[in-house]
Amino acid sequence: MNTTYFATELRRKLRDVVSMFFVALLPAFFFLIFGASQDFGDESIGNGNVTLYVMISMAAYGAVTATVGVGGGAAVERLQGWGRQLGLTPMTDAGFVLVKASVAVVVAAVPITLVYVLGALTGARGNAVAWVLSAVVVLLGAALFALWGLCFGLAFRSESAIGAASGTIVVLGFLGNIFFPLSGTLLAIAKFTPLYGYVSLARYPLTEKHLASADGAPAIQEALWVPALNVVVWTALLAGLAVLLVRKGRRRQ
Amino acid sequence: MPAAAPPATDAVALRGLLKIFRSAEGARVRAVDGLDLVIRPGEIVALLGPNGAGKTTTIDLLLGLTEPDAGSASVYGLPPRRAVLDGRVSAVLQTGGLLADLTVRETVRVVASTYPRPADVAEVIERTGLTALAGRRVSRCSGGEQQRLRFALALLPEPDLLVLDEPTAGMDVGARHEFWATMRAEAATGRTALFATHYLEEADAYAQRTVMVAGGRVVADGPTAEIRARASGRVVSASVPADRTADVVRRLEALSGVRTVDLQGDRVTVTSADSDEVAKALLNDLGGTGLEVATGSLETAFLQLTGTDAAHEETSR
Repeated sequence: MNTTYFATELRRKLRDVVSMFFVALLPAFFFLIFGASQDFGDESIGNGNVTLYVMISMAAYGAVTATVGVGGGAAVERLQGWGRQLGLTPMTDAGFVLVKASVAVVVAAVPITLVYVLGALTGARGNAVAWVLSAVVVLLGAALFALWGLCFGLAFRSESAIGAASGTIVVLGFLGNIFFPLSGTLLAIAKFTPLYGYVSLARYPLTEKHLASADGAPAIQEALWVPALNVVVWTALLAGLAVLLVRKGRRRQ
Repeated sequence: MPAAAPPATDAVALRGLLKIFRSAEGARVRAVDGLDLVIRPGEIVALLGPNGAGKTTTIDLLLGLTEPDAGSASVYGLPPRRAVLDGRVSAVLQTGGLLADLTVRETVRVVASTYPRPADVAEVIERTGLTALAGRRVSRCSGGEQQRLRFALALLPEPDLLVLDEPTAGMDVGARHEFWATMRAEAATGRTALFATHYLEEADAYAQRTVMVAGGRVVADGPTAEIRARASGRVVSASVPADRTADVVRRLEALSGVRTVDLQGDRVTVTSADSDEVAKALLNDLGGTGLEVATGSLETAFLQLTGTDAAHEETSR
């Protein structure tokens, strides 16, 4: 990977204090509201408790928000003609996508770290595997959504595309079983949406095959291949689309 | 496939190049329409044409930024994208190309990092007069300063061919002068250069050879001095008595130096290398009134050379 470009992009992102404030603090705030301050937080689930479950969900939400922003930022660059400038260099399409995705993962680590520290301080309990493995999955899986933001930005080529991409994440967050446990038809539909596989996989070290359910309904079970397949398919789709759109962006605008 | 490459490879070889765009209204516009151009190593060539002549699209095709609908483009015998990857060709583009929130030095460093063997960053910054601005954000640089930065980026691969698309557009006189001074120093090192411009004076000052394009085609190609002579006629127009128009036109056409005579109602428009002679004849002998003399614009020269409108449009099928 082009480390000079990567380091410069990272510095550029962290210099943007205002957007970092929202990327880092909003999910932490959500966790304190939905997770830490709830009285069901201590109920046990799989290898830990509900607070840990909510903590992983919110960290995932924060990480995705961060990576969508990084990816969407590419839209503005395209408007500034940066794609044409890079088109004059040996940097490949794949190289560009790799740098952007890597920056996104590092930026995503910021809200994840913050939410996990808050979780540890506010009663999230689980075994070591649940803590460590979930954090790793949240972090790496978030790269997928850098591609989501990138595709939005490249396809719609306007600053509002970033806002639109973030908007879809809230909707997909509900459909992805992040904010509220789903059941029935909605759950069946949810399994095809991009955030579902990612979050389920991130919580898997905690829940193993059990899905959380609201209001004491019988627990639902799900095999690991369902979220895994979801992630694989969405990654392939978005990566392919991103490369196509980058190629298109090199032309004159 | 050709059996063997010629011994001295042309720096640029464009053959039968065609690029069609579809406008918002669905009309098909032939931005580049069967363009042929060969540039030999070491030449400094001006691509001269009015707005919409197809200069920028030609450059995009030459750099592999877009694909032709027909014809071929090669740079040092290589496909354009390959030549870019090898650092044989680089360009200063007209539009955008910079990230506003990076500093000048960061921008140079990032672009340098994409090449396997780039020129030294500090040295390129020095050569393009950016040392004092190196720590400044791009968003705080003037248009001329940003253009110098783009020029610096184009020098990073130490290219054999440098392509500049209207490099001084939007610069004031001082910045323009400074830019060409730097450019001249670079050209002196033996680089091949192709620059697009719509200023005849720039072609005159910096190019040995000028290629005029209009309507996506080459309409004139030769030593700049020669092209200049063809383009620098004057235009004389006057109203003439309505009952004598046919006679007036015939007598104007007989004058030496006259290239075209055009009649609209009772208004006659004459392009000529000798405008004084035309004016004299009109006022003294032909009953002309309301006389105007104008320097032939580049656009007028193109009209003369092509005899058609600069933009070819086809209606959608």
